[in-house]
Amino acid sequence: MAFVRVPRDGVPVTQAKDVALDPSLGKRFTLKTDVVVVGSGAAGSMVAYEMAKAGRDVLVLESGRYYPSSEFTEHLGDTMTKIYQDQVGQVNTTADIIFVQGACVGGSTVVGACVMEEPGDKVLDGWAEKYGLDALSAEKFRPYLDKVAEELQIHTNEAHEINACAHKVIQGCEKMQFSWKPAQRNVKQCALTGHCLAGCPSDRKMSSLVTHLPWASAYGARIFSDTEVIRVKTLDGRARGVEARIVDPDSGAHVADMNVDADMVVLAAGGIHTPLILQRSQVPDRSGQLGRNLAIQPFTQVLGKFKEPLYGFRGALVGVQVDEFTHTDGYTIFSGLAEPESLLAQGDMKAGQAHIEFMKDYKYYAGVNAFSKDLGNGYVKWDGDAYSGSKTIHYNPSREEFENMKASAALAARIFFSGGAEKVYLPTFQSLQANSVFELDEKMDKVDYGIKGMYTFRSNSFSPHGTCRMGADPYESVVSPTGEMHDTPGLFVADASLLPESMSAPIQWTVHALAKYVSDQINNNASNYFIS
Amino acid sequence: MKNNNRAPLPGHLAGLEPLSRRGFLRASVLAGAALTSGCASLFGRKDAPETLQYYSLKPDEVDVITRLTEIMLPTERYGLPSSTTVVPTVKNIDIMAQRFPEQTRELLGLGIWVFNNRPMMSFKFKKFTSLSDAKALEYVNAMQEGAFFERGLMTTLKALIALNYWRDERTWPGLEYHGPVTETWGVRRLGNAPLPRA
Repeated sequence: MAFVRVPRDGVPVTQAKDVALDPSLGKRFTLKTDVVVVGSGAAGSMVAYEMAKAGRDVLVLESGRYYPSSEFTEHLGDTMTKIYQDQVGQVNTTADIIFVQGACVGGSTVVGACVMEEPGDKVLDGWAEKYGLDALSAEKFRPYLDKVAEELQIHTNEAHEINACAHKVIQGCEKMQFSWKPAQRNVKQCALTGHCLAGCPSDRKMSSLVTHLPWASAYGARIFSDTEVIRVKTLDGRARGVEARIVDPDSGAHVADMNVDADMVVLAAGGIHTPLILQRSQVPDRSGQLGRNLAIQPFTQVLGKFKEPLYGFRGALVGVQVDEFTHTDGYTIFSGLAEPESLLAQGDMKAGQAHIEFMKDYKYYAGVNAFSKDLGNGYVKWDGDAYSGSKTIHYNPSREEFENMKASAALAARIFFSGGAEKVYLPTFQSLQANSVFELDEKMDKVDYGIKGMYTFRSNSFSPHGTCRMGADPYESVVSPTGEMHDTPGLFVADASLLPESMSAPIQWTVHALAKYVSDQINNNASNYFIS
Repeated sequence: MKNNNRAPLPGHLAGLEPLSRRGFLRASVLAGAALTSGCASLFGRKDAPETLQYYSLKPDEVDVITRLTEIMLPTERYGLPSSTTVVPTVKNIDIMAQRFPEQTRELLGLGIWVFNNRPMMSFKFKKFTSLSDAKALEYVNAMQEGAFFERGLMTTLKALIALNYWRDERTWPGLEYHGPVTETWGVRRLGNAPLPRA
């Protein structure tokens, strides 16, 4: 094999401005390739790398902009407006749940908090049995997870990676006799800056920007940013490429239309956008499940105020996790808290003098993110024309999901009081705070499910999944056990949409491994898929 | 295709160049701004809110958001940069709204209208912008404790204002928040990870 050299810095990306300045391309142009990969996050970058390494001509299309890590400013406010999906304004139809996603080359791996956790053996074996996914059984799928761990340098936090904020969680857990453990993260020589959510300027976060994308590129993959795929093209029922449009991310100007002719299309745009592209493409779906089964792994941030200054924004963003309830109830609690903007994502931030006083106590706060498992009853829908229509995300907690969120937030609050907090702010749309553990239940009782659980908890989701469920039965699932759409040969899905049901662990590790598995399926059957 | 790779500096300097270059550029821009506009305006804005150009917010929306900013963030009384004359909070919101998806932008417009015009008996059915400071704060707090859609709307508007004020690094010293540290600490860039072994 020829010597492959990865550039030391950056990723070669063709951006809208490059297309605009290239007269040979014009306003409408066609590219030919073996594989077109839609999306450049955890899944897309992995597929691009595996396909390119196997000798395929690969084209990666990313709708977000290219933001090289050398340009990260550790400024969350500015980062939000540039490389977060809808400037962190991607919400459900009632606008009370925020879906936080990266919208850039590298996707959510660039702005995530680096938290990695494997799905348990019981979960994997359950998928294998329930959905006919034998290849995802713990025994067969674990090698994929292990390989990902090696490539992304996943490690368990060491003592210096556990900050004052996390120590309050530990103290609380010790007192309550709850099981806790240091979180696992994909970071190499973490500099403990606490700015993960604004991207890592020193390339210590093992995001796709510094791993699978430059590796894929070194093997010849071409990457386009600012390029939104409108729909998948089919010919005689088989996927044959995509139509896309290139838009200047600063001005919003339409730069060009791109037509891609490809032997194979791999969708890796995430749990929200992959099903939307498929809906726009009007691909057949016998199951009627396309876009459905949306699970969001909702989380709320609970804030504790302590007597002594913690400067909880210093150090690794996520230090420890409380795993006492993960397997019994589906609640997982992670320590957190970073930039001032993060404070505004929790509970009521008050107004006037009360708001200023709330903010001025910043150094005394510790935060935890309380994740709960949901039932996967949401759905995403594309309304209107493929070019001018719009997305809607339908999700309101059922009574059971609401109670789960309430219980996880209450546990987090109890842990903080046990750790010495003198006050806990609850993550609700009402202005609720408890001044002692004895007030907690009474305050929690005030959080009423009301009308469909709307505007009760201020919750967020980092992990939408399940919207193109994988399974053996084409009447119950959208995608086959190899990752190929049941009814459209040559069209694969490789991202979080595949997850057959709601899971409680953070999903990034699983998504990387699934994408590697789907890539293997394609490479192992290459003669069936590629003309050359 | 454009190649964005930069030639690495040799030896012990490799990995430091992007940060150093960025620091230099930032310093140059600040120095240039100070010279051309006068040092007094470097850390403050000369223009009053009403003279600013808004591209997304309508004039009546600007009035409502400006008034809510004054009520929510009475910053000058607490030694913080003014939320209206120093930090361009409303202008920041305008820039953000410009890039909202159309549906979100329409919802925001509707929300601002409802917030300003929502008749409440306790406030003699006055518009929010016509209320005194004390009454306006009372109205905001009442909305926060109101029906589910009232608290949803109030929280959204507050988050928009707070985010676009506290994102300004001039507000951070007031919180004892140090902001970016990588450059200050001289943290070396690692660059791309090496290819995995076959």
